[in-house]
Amino acid sequence: MPPADIGDRLRDLPGGTAVALKLDPREFADHYFAVLNATLRDVGSEPNAHVIYITVTNPASFVWSLAQALDVPQDRLSFVDVISHIMMNYSNPLPNATYVETPRALEEIMLRVDYLLRKYPHPRSVVVVDSLNALAIHNPRELLSEFFHIFLTNLKSRNVLTLILVTSDEEAGELERMLNLLVDETVDVGGGR
Amino acid sequence: MESPEVPATVPPAGPRALMAPAIVLERCATGIEGLDDILGGGIPRGNMVLVSGSVGTGKTTLCLEFLVRGAERGERSLFLSVTEASEKLIQNLSTFEFFRADLVSDGSLVFVDLPALYDKLGLEHEEMTPDEIDILIRTVHDLVRTLGVKRLVLDSLTSVCYRIRRDEAIRDFMLRLGQSLSELGCTSLLVSEIGPTQGRYSMHGVEEAIVDGVILLWNTRRQGDILRVLQIVKMRGTAHSRAQYVIELTPIGLLMAPHLKGGRTEGV
Repeated sequence: MPPADIGDRLRDLPGGTAVALKLDPREFADHYFAVLNATLRDVGSEPNAHVIYITVTNPASFVWSLAQALDVPQDRLSFVDVISHIMMNYSNPLPNATYVETPRALEEIMLRVDYLLRKYPHPRSVVVVDSLNALAIHNPRELLSEFFHIFLTNLKSRNVLTLILVTSDEEAGELERMLNLLVDETVDVGGGR
Repeated sequence: MESPEVPATVPPAGPRALMAPAIVLERCATGIEGLDDILGGGIPRGNMVLVSGSVGTGKTTLCLEFLVRGAERGERSLFLSVTEASEKLIQNLSTFEFFRADLVSDGSLVFVDLPALYDKLGLEHEEMTPDEIDILIRTVHDLVRTLGVKRLVLDSLTSVCYRIRRDEAIRDFMLRLGQSLSELGCTSLLVSEIGPTQGRYSMHGVEEAIVDGVILLWNTRRQGDILRVLQIVKMRGTAHSRAQYVIELTPIGLLMAPHLKGGRTEGV
């Protein structure tokens, strides 16, 4: 799918859908920014929408600065930052972020998302996982499979739209196959669906 | 203030879930969503439950939320504190969004310091005599009956048992206390302090045999990171989950998530 069309596609998706957004590593930077644009601005600006962005690849402060450049209001976006603690980069916490100490605390990620969904109930709740690859660096495959199975099933039952970023490479092959079993749709960013 | 007394009910005829019990006991919903889910709706009304765990596992917070949620539903709730002064408890409680100070001021949520009660009752022996144990049970009974208390927390049973000491006397104390509270339709949580690697649910080892339920809390490690875990070990009168759950004490209350088993863990 052309990167410019992703926002429209995501806006059409109903709540309770889980989607893998597959990024091409050769064009990672372009695709990554296209996906951020689509998830933060296009989906995040829908009426009654609230985006919970799980940052493992980059700190929340990085994603938040991009969101500000895209004029995303603070009350529309919350972060579960899973990487800043482990990077010892925690001195200036964002007011709209909650911080998990390590990407290995997968249950903690589920609990923080649960907390934010309860604290900020919106008709259109969206959870973004950025990314499967970054979580896979810190967690064994069996644990990650179990996590995604429980996490996605729970979010589906709560009518939450879930978007999972995955960079397609040899290392991620097995995880990608696991994810294909759990998601409703895979969007090949830059390629065919 | 009084909640309506609902007797045990027989589910209506017709299709019902497989494995559903023939008789459904009235539940005391804890108000902690995940906990009620794994308890099949809550603790059977009048049950006496041990909340067992080592330091820092969330025992007191769980118990306080149980009382606050009950008081919000119009069930008068009583906290008997042995280890911490009520003022300090209320101060800590006020940091949670689920706490409402008006529940304390209107008498829906009552705090009693047990050491002050001991003094008032003249229970001065380091090891309580059988008469003193009797006085304590009668006093708690009268307090629950007079105030119409439907939820009670004793924090901690371990501290009370330090003054009873003998296993037979502890057994007798708990049997009588449990019977007394159950007769009044009062659901109780008794906090049990155990060491991190004790391998049992109470200091003396007799407490868990008497109570109707055991909720166990402990810390576990995964690759060096500590997780707080909760498990229902026993709950009479209801089918319940036996799985382990990771818990988080958030400003809006206790939240639970399934404990993932893909990684190896060890107790701490």
